[in-house]
Amino acid sequence: MEDIDAMFTDLLGEMDLLTQGLGYETVPSEMSSSSSQIEKNFSIGFTDLKESLNELEDHDLDALMADLGSDLTETEETLNAAKMGHVHTQQHKSGYYTPQQNVQASIPSSQISSSSSSLHPEPSEPLVAGEAEAQVKADKIKLALEKLKEAKVKKLVIKVMMSDGSSKTLMVDERQTVRDVLDNLFEKTHCDCSTDWSLCETNPELQAERGFEDHEYLVEPLSAWTRDSENKILFLLRPNKYLLFKDPQIFYLWKKHKQFVNEINGCRKELLLKENFEGPSVIVPDLEGPLYLREDGKKSWKRRYFLLRASGIYYVPKGKTKTSRDLACFIQFDKVNIYTATDYKQKYKAPTDFCFILKHPQIQKESQYIRFLCCDDELTLSLWVNSIRVAKYGATLYHNYQTAVRRALITTSTLHVTSLPVSSPPTRSTGHIATVRANEHPDQDYLSEPPPDFIPPPPPGWGSGV
Amino acid sequence: MAAWDLSVTVEELGPEATPFKVSVTSDLHIGGVVLRIVEKTQIKKDWSDHALWWEQKQQWLLQLSWTLEKYEIHADARLRLTPQHKPLRLGLPNGTTLRLQACFSHPVFQTVIGVCRLLNMRHPEELSLLRPVEEKKKKKDTEEEVVVYDLTSLRISSGPAHTLSNGMPVHFADSPQTEAVYKMLSVSLPAPETITKTPRPTSLVDKAQVHSRWLDSSRSLLQQGVQEHDRLLLRFKYYCFHDLHPKYDAVRLTQMYEQARWAILLEDVGCTEEEMMLFAALQHHIGKVSLSEPRLMKSCPAMDDLDSALQCLEVKMDAEECSAEDMLETMTVAPELHDYLNIFRPKRLTLKGYKQFWFTFNNTSISYYKSKEESLKEPIQQMNLKGCEVVPDVSVAGQKFCIRLLIPGAQGMNEVYLRCENELQYSRWMAACRLASKGKSLADSSFSNEVQNIQSFLDMQRTTPGVKAAQTDDIINTHGLVSPRYHKKYKSKQLTPRILEAYQNVAQLPLTDALLRFLQIWQALPEFGVCYFVVRFKGCRKDEVLGVTNNRLIRIDLGTGDVVKTWRYNIMKQWNVNWDIQQVAIEFNGNVNIAFSCVTATCKIVHEYIGGYIFMATRTREQTEVLNQELFYKLTGGHEAL
Repeated sequence: MEDIDAMFTDLLGEMDLLTQGLGYETVPSEMSSSSSQIEKNFSIGFTDLKESLNELEDHDLDALMADLGSDLTETEETLNAAKMGHVHTQQHKSGYYTPQQNVQASIPSSQISSSSSSLHPEPSEPLVAGEAEAQVKADKIKLALEKLKEAKVKKLVIKVMMSDGSSKTLMVDERQTVRDVLDNLFEKTHCDCSTDWSLCETNPELQAERGFEDHEYLVEPLSAWTRDSENKILFLLRPNKYLLFKDPQIFYLWKKHKQFVNEINGCRKELLLKENFEGPSVIVPDLEGPLYLREDGKKSWKRRYFLLRASGIYYVPKGKTKTSRDLACFIQFDKVNIYTATDYKQKYKAPTDFCFILKHPQIQKESQYIRFLCCDDELTLSLWVNSIRVAKYGATLYHNYQTAVRRALITTSTLHVTSLPVSSPPTRSTGHIATVRANEHPDQDYLSEPPPDFIPPPPPGWGSGV
Repeated sequence: MAAWDLSVTVEELGPEATPFKVSVTSDLHIGGVVLRIVEKTQIKKDWSDHALWWEQKQQWLLQLSWTLEKYEIHADARLRLTPQHKPLRLGLPNGTTLRLQACFSHPVFQTVIGVCRLLNMRHPEELSLLRPVEEKKKKKDTEEEVVVYDLTSLRISSGPAHTLSNGMPVHFADSPQTEAVYKMLSVSLPAPETITKTPRPTSLVDKAQVHSRWLDSSRSLLQQGVQEHDRLLLRFKYYCFHDLHPKYDAVRLTQMYEQARWAILLEDVGCTEEEMMLFAALQHHIGKVSLSEPRLMKSCPAMDDLDSALQCLEVKMDAEECSAEDMLETMTVAPELHDYLNIFRPKRLTLKGYKQFWFTFNNTSISYYKSKEESLKEPIQQMNLKGCEVVPDVSVAGQKFCIRLLIPGAQGMNEVYLRCENELQYSRWMAACRLASKGKSLADSSFSNEVQNIQSFLDMQRTTPGVKAAQTDDIINTHGLVSPRYHKKYKSKQLTPRILEAYQNVAQLPLTDALLRFLQIWQALPEFGVCYFVVRFKGCRKDEVLGVTNNRLIRIDLGTGDVVKTWRYNIMKQWNVNWDIQQVAIEFNGNVNIAFSCVTATCKIVHEYIGGYIFMATRTREQTEVLNQELFYKLTGGHEAL
């Protein structure tokens, strides 16, 4: 008992510290000091956060504070609950021991059998009550601990650049997937929720960028950024994101004539998806062809014949044929991500500007461990980049797409029901955002909780089944 | 009507016995003929499985109500009364040979359905019978007798197949022998050793030859010249496996895995070296687990209940575990590993050697300090191993136990060597590094397993090739794991570490998951499921190869193996076979017409393959249990079906 009490007092102390830290943030005048507090309590990886917070426009800061505020009240509630629990302990302590003493006292004085029999059930009742109380207390301690654990969850304050040049600041914790963050941004910006919206990271040092996949935990890749990083997170429409599922024929029938590929209709697209993604294993497009590879340490680019397989990228060694057993492995995908690069003609004297790189997400600067590849044209680049994503992520990518489609559908149907105007991409006006936020709540509830058996109607040209 | 004599031999009386003469009229039906013969033999037995076979016409007279006239049988006809079910030796994908009662009178499609029912395999439409390669009779006396497991006594009751509590069908439970056979069918065997002896196809033409040996699904065994006690192979023919359910498909899954495994070992389907190592690792793992894990017990319904009960218990215990103390513990005390180790960081132009520090392993990071006493202070450096590459640099003979780490950082990869003093220390640190590179901490349940694996790897190094030390289960016999090509290319010593490296990623899989993973990787191979036929396209003067897969036809250059063109079934309008000139003609959308004659196989086999795949595509998830046999015959039967 003493141990638990001691432990509990410790915890309370810790929680006090925590709430104190949060307490600062509610005071807007102490903005700069609050930012440093955030850093301390939530291991935030941005050293220039102070500046970025200063840069923020007022409404952004307000929104962020609102987010943080809700967190704070939660913690306070927990604290109160825990305090109550503490009070309970003391009451309960006395209530626990007294009945036992009663029993001991009653046994030697067993003169009247009726009194002892009437005494026996008595102590058991407070005992039950005591147990229940102990349970309540244990629950509360558990709750408090869970909250504490939650406080240990890594959180980041991120600044997301919008396509119109403005930015939004939000907080993400390590349990949030990119999908969650996108949904969050959909609500904030009230955009059309199209499947093309994506979050992407740019690396100015490498002149490379990568769209995050919807299933990734956003905090993870961001943690790889260096302290002085100039990397940015963009929220923008990327038609390439799910092109593979919207036009699978481009990737699965790339060898066919262009005119033939263009004629493929919805039903046949559907069949292609079914064949390649709904079978027991995902079929990676059988992509092959010449690419330029930047030689290690040298400045030249060498043309080689590469083949894509589910297990990695291979090349045909000199004097060998394309048969599987002769292929030499160039790279496997477990530990690398794929980035598209811009303007490598100038930066690295690449033969064309259609380049992509494969690197470990931790690597942020030019290094011999980065693979630089260059394609002849834009189509080839798109083929390789998207097909490699299939090889790397497999069925997950398809599930992401299906979720995105459902998300887009629910939104459009809701918009019709509530006859809300489909709002244009985000604007800067504070007033506008305020009105949107006011309207948002009823329909936000609906969005987050569709009826359990709600199956969205198929989009046109979708699901017309074979 | 005039009576005439019909001569009928009865198989039971032996081939030498004189045929019975029965006096019949042309309007007597077949049932009556059978009855008269049976009476005449004066043998009392169950004749219900017997039927008449017409020797000259190679035809069964199965319609008992048809008259002799309708069958156009005259006095010159020689008929034989013979059982419809006869013993047949059947080679399964896993190499075992069974003797069982198979139907010789109905189309092979029916025979396969019967056999699959007996063996408890669902979706018999995906399998068929293949004639084995004719064995050369040269070394008759040296040839060892193939062990045949006799299942001829097995009879299945009509009605739905009942399975015992352990997943075994009731009819296998008759004797311990049959029970043992079932176990053999449903559990994958350890890696084979005889792979070098097995002939393997080397060219496209060789691969095409295999497919010329399929039996015709729409004709009976006897019609195709298969005799009692002949040996045939049961194989998966159509490579689209419908509704694979590990719980009900123990035999099917195992046999599928075996067929896939042999296809890879014999390079029937091509794969890269990296893929081969992964297949080898999975095989090694499956072999190891299937020995220790009695899967029969796992798939039975009664055990399912127990399983769910246990799961409940687990959940309950989980909940209880979450008591305050435990939670605190997980928050504060994670298991740690600490030791004095030597570290070396190769840098350009420095010749500094290994230096000793006090190392601690915490979560996925390694920290090091000047000494144990200083471990409470800030570490000299902390390295997070998440996502790093871990390479062993070990020589047991030279007592060198180093771990090479390539740790990703913003600037690139940092190379770090850790040197351990002894095997035990090395195994523990190596295991921790491997887990950390996958983002798992020491607290992960797989830690001790990992340590064991590393130790068995070290043991393997110790056994010198000259001295054949006692081989334990942990020592990998690389022979059955990779194709012979890699045995020529690499020494066993070189193969082992590569297989073990791939093994790290699969070592935690339960048996069923490992089998499924193997099949998945097999199915993702670009050459998977292509059946080759040598054909001659109309208007061409040279032989080419036609590849038939589950969704397309591929025209392949015979010389180079390059794909010339593909046609997908979904744009197919119709296909015809001209049986007189043995030519298949196919019309696709957009006025694309192709026609070819077949060189290595009869055009019935090619026709059946295409029709069969189209049939497979008509199956839907809802009607998995009902097999539309009529449609199958319609799509694959050709002129016989009509």
